[in-house]
Amino acid sequence: MIMFNYIASFFLIALGFYTIITKYNLVKTVIGLSIADYGVNLLIISVGYNPGGTAPIYTLGELTSASYFVDPIPQALTLTSIVIGACVTAMSLSLVMKLHESYGTLDTREIRRLRG
Amino acid sequence: MSFANFLDYHHFPVYSIMVLFLGAFLIVLFGKNKFMRNLLAFLAVSISLACIVALVKPVMLDGEIIAYWMGNRAVAGGYAIGIALEVDALSLFFALLISTAVFVSGIYSLQYMEHDNNVPEYYTLFLMLSGGVIGLVLSGDIFNMFIMVEILTFAAVALTAFRNKAHGALEAAFKYLVVGCIGSTCILVGIIMLYAQAHTLNFAQLSAVIPGNMNNATKLAFALLFVGFGTKAFIVPFHPLAADAHGAAPASISVLISGVLTKSGIYGLIRLTYFLFQTMNLGTFQFLLVFIGSVSMFVCVTMALAQHDFKRLLAFHSISQIGYVLAAVGLCTGLGFSAGLYHAMNHTLFKGLLFLCAGAVLHQTGTTNLDELGGLSKKMPWTTGLFLVGAFSISGLPPFNGFASKWMVYQAAYQKASETGNIGFLFVTLIALVTSVLTLASFVKVSQSVFFGRLPAKYENVKEVKGGMIFAMCLFAILCVVTGLFPSAVTKYLTEPAARAVFSVVNYIDAAMGTGYAASAMGENLPVVASFNFNELGYWSPISWLLILCIALLAVTIVAVSGKYDKVSESSEIADSKYDLFFGGEKSVYSQVGGGDLFWGFKHNWRHYFSFMHDLHSGIVNDYSLWAIVALAIVTLFIQIVL
Repeated sequence: MIMFNYIASFFLIALGFYTIITKYNLVKTVIGLSIADYGVNLLIISVGYNPGGTAPIYTLGELTSASYFVDPIPQALTLTSIVIGACVTAMSLSLVMKLHESYGTLDTREIRRLRG
Repeated sequence: MSFANFLDYHHFPVYSIMVLFLGAFLIVLFGKNKFMRNLLAFLAVSISLACIVALVKPVMLDGEIIAYWMGNRAVAGGYAIGIALEVDALSLFFALLISTAVFVSGIYSLQYMEHDNNVPEYYTLFLMLSGGVIGLVLSGDIFNMFIMVEILTFAAVALTAFRNKAHGALEAAFKYLVVGCIGSTCILVGIIMLYAQAHTLNFAQLSAVIPGNMNNATKLAFALLFVGFGTKAFIVPFHPLAADAHGAAPASISVLISGVLTKSGIYGLIRLTYFLFQTMNLGTFQFLLVFIGSVSMFVCVTMALAQHDFKRLLAFHSISQIGYVLAAVGLCTGLGFSAGLYHAMNHTLFKGLLFLCAGAVLHQTGTTNLDELGGLSKKMPWTTGLFLVGAFSISGLPPFNGFASKWMVYQAAYQKASETGNIGFLFVTLIALVTSVLTLASFVKVSQSVFFGRLPAKYENVKEVKGGMIFAMCLFAILCVVTGLFPSAVTKYLTEPAARAVFSVVNYIDAAMGTGYAASAMGENLPVVASFNFNELGYWSPISWLLILCIALLAVTIVAVSGKYDKVSESSEIADSKYDLFFGGEKSVYSQVGGGDLFWGFKHNWRHYFSFMHDLHSGIVNDYSLWAIVALAIVTLFIQIVL
């Protein structure tokens, strides 16, 4: 079943990139970035998954070689990645707001004063 | 822990990162007070620089590799479980460049930014950006490298948009954010795929385990990481972002984006290809890097020729110079690598100087448009002189540093061609030479249209910038001259140790994982090796060139002072406009050749190329994103085929 997760995560990443490339609305571009980010988070969590494993919460005394748990490192990485994703969304939306104020449009085809 | 223990140099890498982030935090708290804020910023950048400089002796000269485990959690059972900082000569070389640029830019900011709003936020972001880059080059843990990449990208985007009323600042920041995030996503996916294969995030351990166990997943990870760090280095096809971001950011930040961020991308590419995947023995990979480097070199210099904005022009030159670095590094020889690093260092120095000069012009006149400026040499003599030092350096005129390193790049490519018998490398020398000529041409244009020629009436009251800014520019200028005058010392003490560090991957792995780990984990997979053949390196004698330059200057001065030299009269004194330079038969109002059109004949002959390139760089963020994805697809295919 974990295979399904991998397929889904790469599908989400590809969908995110597709959105960024094909949509001309700035807000949709930001949505594309977020979708790609969710795909990455799903991928990270899936990498650390062990079928049938428990939560990786042990004290040193409880830990034996028979303990079977999911890999905790990807979970920590996912937290970091989620935080970064939230920052990306916040920052890009604030830029979008400012862009709308000064350009009066959200169309990427019209926001191109810097070119050539 | 005793006090002497604190001053053990093994702690210095972590201090140099920590003081910058701590400074950023303290400025948020106490930054309302101007004196306090400047003091904190100055202390943070200078302590960081001092820590890095103190490491030169043990790491560069004695060849020690410092592996520092946070919280003392070192290797256990053959697995690196802690977070490491690992400093070898390569890391230190880049850290030295970065902290120097950060220091000078910090000094310049003190006066450059004093009239802006929200200066505390500026310093917070400035220090975050600096800390992120230094953290990236000193980190020995691949996930921490990703975190640092994110920190520096965010800080750079925010600083690009800092003057959000300036022309195009918001737009540039948004484009940079979108494509930068595509790059960061690629890096993160690459890291996770490596983790799934090797179950470690330590860079040294990955370098030992991955090269012998390549499969389709690691190949895809390689492609993703390559493109990810490529976006950070702004190599072709990511160069439009660099142009937008450099042009829109405040000049002190352009110095960092151009001199520091691009270097961090190059550092990442070196670590990937030489350490993590060790593919540089393959001719196809040398071809990939040299090809991307040569294309960046040429495309960006021609783009620069067509620009009408001072800082945007400098930005394209910046990527052109990065092309030199990448091409030289991709040769995979000792000489090539030294040449590449030498040029990387020089690029930070002269491009920093040029951006600071552009900032000084912007600060005093309020514009960087080449068509509006002119004749500032009378009003801003210091800036003009310092600009000329920078322009001579980047165009590779002796005795400045650009000549020394470009000469080494030509020789390295030539030597590679004669060693391998591959004529393709001769073309690299050729492209590098042509690019150098075009660079000179474009700087003739800039100096003509900004500093010489006719002074527009509205700039009659322009004054020279204040002492602090001149001091910062002088620091860069002095370094430009010094590194140009003593190329053999620079090569011996800085670039050659760093180049040797790259070709001793085993030492890098053993320093972190314990002696013998590399031999047991890597088996018979031989690491990348290269010949260190410096025989063909013809050192030239910069001192005699300096003498010739001084004599020539003296002669010109004597002639000028003795009155034989007719002062060229201002065009306004000429009654009849028919003596002006003109294009053709147009009416005289339109006939004046502006500084920006100095090479109009050349541009006219190449008009199809220039208009093609102009249309290609459409400024639409979707196009740039598409380029990034196409680059990813091409690199993925390439790696699947050749590995």
